[in-house]
Amino acid sequence: MNAPSNFTFVSSDRRVREDRRFVAGQGKFVADITETGMLHVAIVHGSQTAARIVSIDATRALEMPGVVGVVEGEELRAAVEPLMNGLDTPRVQRYPLAIKHVRYHGEWVAAVVAQTRAQAEDAAECVDVVYETLPNVIDTEEAYKPGSPPVHPAHGSNVLLDRTFNWGDIDSDFAASDHSLSLRVTWGRSSTVPIETFGVVAMWDPWSETLDVRASIQMPKYADQIARALRLPGNAVRVHYDVDVGGSYGVKRGIKHTVLVGYLAMKLKQPVRLIEDRLENMESGDAHGPDRIFDIEVAFNKDGIVNSMKMRAMDNAGAYAGRAPFQLGKPIGAIVGPYRINSVRYQAVSVTSNKAVQEAVRGFGQSPTNYAIETMMDRVAEFVGLDRVEIRRRNFIRHDEFPYLIPSGTRYDSGDYHVVVDKVMKHVDWDGLIAERDRLRASGLYAGIGISACLEPSGGNSSFEPLLNSTNTTTTWMESCRINVDALGHVTVTIHTTSSGQGHETLASTVIGEILEIDPDSIRIVRTDSLTSLPGNSPVGSRMAVMLGGSCFHAANKLKTKMIAIAAKNLGCAVEAVEYAGGAFHARDSNKKLSWLDLVTIAHRNYHLLPEGFEPGLEATNVYQVPTGNELPTADGRVQMYPCHSFEFHCILATIDPDTGKVDLRRYVIGHDCGTVINPHIVKGMTLGGIAHGIGAALLEEFVYDSEGQMLAQSFMDYLMPSSHEVPEVEIVHHCTPSPFTVMGQKGSGESGYLGAPAAISGAVNDAVRALGIRFNRLPMRMTAISDAIAEAKSNNAQSR
Amino acid sequence: MKAAAFDYIRPESLSEAAGLLASHEDARVIAGGQTLVPMMAMRLARPSLLVDIAHIEGLSGIADFGAYIGFGAMTRQAQAEKSTLVATRLPLLAAALPWVGHTPTRNRGTIGGSVANADPAAEIPLVLVTLEGSICWMSADGQGEIVAADLFSGPMSTEMPAAAILTEVRFPVWEGPPIGVGFHEASARRSDFAYVSAAAQVQVDQAGRCIRCTIGIGGALAFPKRLAGASKALTGSQLTAQDIAAGLSEDIAALEIMTDGHASSAYRRRVAGALAARALANARDHARGALR
Repeated sequence: MNAPSNFTFVSSDRRVREDRRFVAGQGKFVADITETGMLHVAIVHGSQTAARIVSIDATRALEMPGVVGVVEGEELRAAVEPLMNGLDTPRVQRYPLAIKHVRYHGEWVAAVVAQTRAQAEDAAECVDVVYETLPNVIDTEEAYKPGSPPVHPAHGSNVLLDRTFNWGDIDSDFAASDHSLSLRVTWGRSSTVPIETFGVVAMWDPWSETLDVRASIQMPKYADQIARALRLPGNAVRVHYDVDVGGSYGVKRGIKHTVLVGYLAMKLKQPVRLIEDRLENMESGDAHGPDRIFDIEVAFNKDGIVNSMKMRAMDNAGAYAGRAPFQLGKPIGAIVGPYRINSVRYQAVSVTSNKAVQEAVRGFGQSPTNYAIETMMDRVAEFVGLDRVEIRRRNFIRHDEFPYLIPSGTRYDSGDYHVVVDKVMKHVDWDGLIAERDRLRASGLYAGIGISACLEPSGGNSSFEPLLNSTNTTTTWMESCRINVDALGHVTVTIHTTSSGQGHETLASTVIGEILEIDPDSIRIVRTDSLTSLPGNSPVGSRMAVMLGGSCFHAANKLKTKMIAIAAKNLGCAVEAVEYAGGAFHARDSNKKLSWLDLVTIAHRNYHLLPEGFEPGLEATNVYQVPTGNELPTADGRVQMYPCHSFEFHCILATIDPDTGKVDLRRYVIGHDCGTVINPHIVKGMTLGGIAHGIGAALLEEFVYDSEGQMLAQSFMDYLMPSSHEVPEVEIVHHCTPSPFTVMGQKGSGESGYLGAPAAISGAVNDAVRALGIRFNRLPMRMTAISDAIAEAKSNNAQSR
Repeated sequence: MKAAAFDYIRPESLSEAAGLLASHEDARVIAGGQTLVPMMAMRLARPSLLVDIAHIEGLSGIADFGAYIGFGAMTRQAQAEKSTLVATRLPLLAAALPWVGHTPTRNRGTIGGSVANADPAAEIPLVLVTLEGSICWMSADGQGEIVAADLFSGPMSTEMPAAAILTEVRFPVWEGPPIGVGFHEASARRSDFAYVSAAAQVQVDQAGRCIRCTIGIGGALAFPKRLAGASKALTGSQLTAQDIAAGLSEDIAALEIMTDGHASSAYRRRVAGALAARALANARDHARGALR
């Protein structure tokens, strides 16, 4: 770290308090919840890619043991509102169950409720559905063509979004540049695939007219959306935030699941539970990630300085719109990466197809975009004959240029890219690394070095919403904290969202302990439910260190200010003369002191000693608005996206087995700068997990569809996640450039590692095979495809000799 | 992912088990259950009755019969992996076992179950075929032995009579001069299903010349296959890289490759050749190392 730490608890080597219960197997997950009389749901899945539903006959199913009922789309449509779309696409309607048509393989057609899940599954097999097959479209570019079979005929085409932004004078910058080149890269459809699938238990209390929801959830405005869809008042839905979530990184939205189960619970007046099995999660859980083609044209000078970029990002959103098309919008906030690129044209295209529906995935579109930008930089380096590190150095924004306004309207907070790169180069012994690569090449392996320099926008606002949907005027994006000191002097903090493993309890207690100068382990953290909570937006967009951290900071300072005022009155001095240290108060000009407990007693029991106008007790609340990004977009489509920008520089040495094509990551170094670190163990865990996820996206994981729309990766036999064997030892080089926009200089790190790993691994593989004259332009780069391409290149090279 | 309804019986004797299999249509033997249980959970397998052979006396254990090592069908893979008898007498099986699933699946998975299941990518059947072993079975109607070359009839299917129980797996032991082994797999992840696997065992004389050789290919085919032509051609050679390449080429070209979305048939054939050559080279070096 370059910044001397003045903190006591923040940034220090303290254990993550949540870990104890998880390691001991004492987490409380949705599948651990059992209610008396709880019923179970199994889904009838569509067996067609695109078809009209001719009939659904549940007669046989209803006669089976334990079966309580079967619900199909038409019944649901009469009772609930369509699920929300992010974009202004009102004719792309989506309900939890298919209405008249199925639009992708596995889509939910009906739901069977029974006494046990096994009975429900037995009965689901006996629901007879007759289909009339319709034409389908799977391929992204086919779907974009006018005349492709529309997934939603009422919408008129498959195009959900096609908007071109021009930021700066692109044409002049192209004309003034020495060279230009174009490239295409493709990001295959992968996702985050948590150990715990999505699950929800809902129960309706007809006496209080309340729907209680316990779910494996990571989603902003979840309770609002359920209430709206079920036509309930907002205060009739109580979502419990104290349910542990077994992994998410974006995908745990479950809105269709919850609306279905909520409806069933209200209809049957019994608790109802739906927990996806793995097949459902993968094929029809609507939890796939970006599926994107990038076409780039870049203009640059002969010295490697990049002047302008034209990027078209075309994403295959799947069968319904949902929130996923916004994943084309968030990367606008870091569309030039860490580079000084003068002007940008960005065309964002989202199309529907007969694939499963996308959901938010770690980075919300940033990792694919970073992969495209970094591949572009490698190509420019190759074109002008420059070292790949040197070309990045030449184009980096300099430390003294921050805060730095990029063409698309975001002001980057801070960074020190050159220094991070220097530190990594020194740590890795760059010349030694090249020598090692060359030694490996001489031994008969293909060997390559990959680097990537990527940003992690963090602190999550939703500026992409008004940017891509003019009917949406959201600029508020808050997080909340409430601190209460009880009459015995103990501190309890409420936080107002679920956790999917981010360590919020550690975060909140560390920040509040720091401000109040009390032991963080003495602070109790409580999660509320949606009826008792303050406003919040849940842990998305790498935002909790910034936002929950910011809220805790302000609430703690508010409490401290209140306590100092009480102390001043009782010490008989001015507020400015009170010194606060370690939880005690003393008057600077006299020897008078008040202990923490003295002050608590005054606040709780001695109203006569309180300053005039003070409310009894000791409590402070803060609702914290995101530090930047509080304005609507300009007419030309510029907007301040996320407030903070963490930086990561990856450096990898990889080899490829010349026969099998297997990629072996022999050295993995990452330089990481996320500003002030609240808890180093959490940041390290995020980074290592992010790299593992990136290895999956780069080499292994893909939801493959065949040309008829059958999804071929329906279990972990075919959807290949990296195991501990495939993830190398990672060396992390730390740096700290505090953010000027946050309370302690912190930035986000929830997506770290993942945002640069695919780009760097691609760079390493391409460096390894460069001598063969081939490139890999598509992720994942499966070993079999690598081997086939190498074999073909060798054969061609042999023939041409 | 809940299995369709089924009955479950855990008999104490082979004859009782055989009787149950004979009298129940769609009954299946369950041993370690490491393949069958997930298949049932996905409803890809729907036995009406599971006959659990775990409590049958005498069906587990490793015994040295001189010419071969016999494994009771219920012998856990982990037990074989830790066995010094296997390490010293069956080095090829010892080399293959760490590739079989993962430690937790090997703790429950059995030698007999892996062979009876006949997964094309499974390692134990490949070693059995390569070493020209055999299996013993019994049913309500009788019993018999089938040599490995005749055992497998396709992916997940064998020539064992319907309603038979596999009782023993026999791996031949090579006596005499030093032997060496090689085992290689190409798979996306460590311990994943192999796209291609290759097993080789050679025996060398004092001069390092190959006097006995066997080589087998798995993963790429409907069931594992011993390369009889190559094994014969390489016997008597010095197993130089040129010898190996020449010896393998005809058999590799003749393989009936299976393909799927993960690996093209060209990949599997090419890599079969490459891994067979590596396995042979390893086996040669291993055997010659034992000379010193």
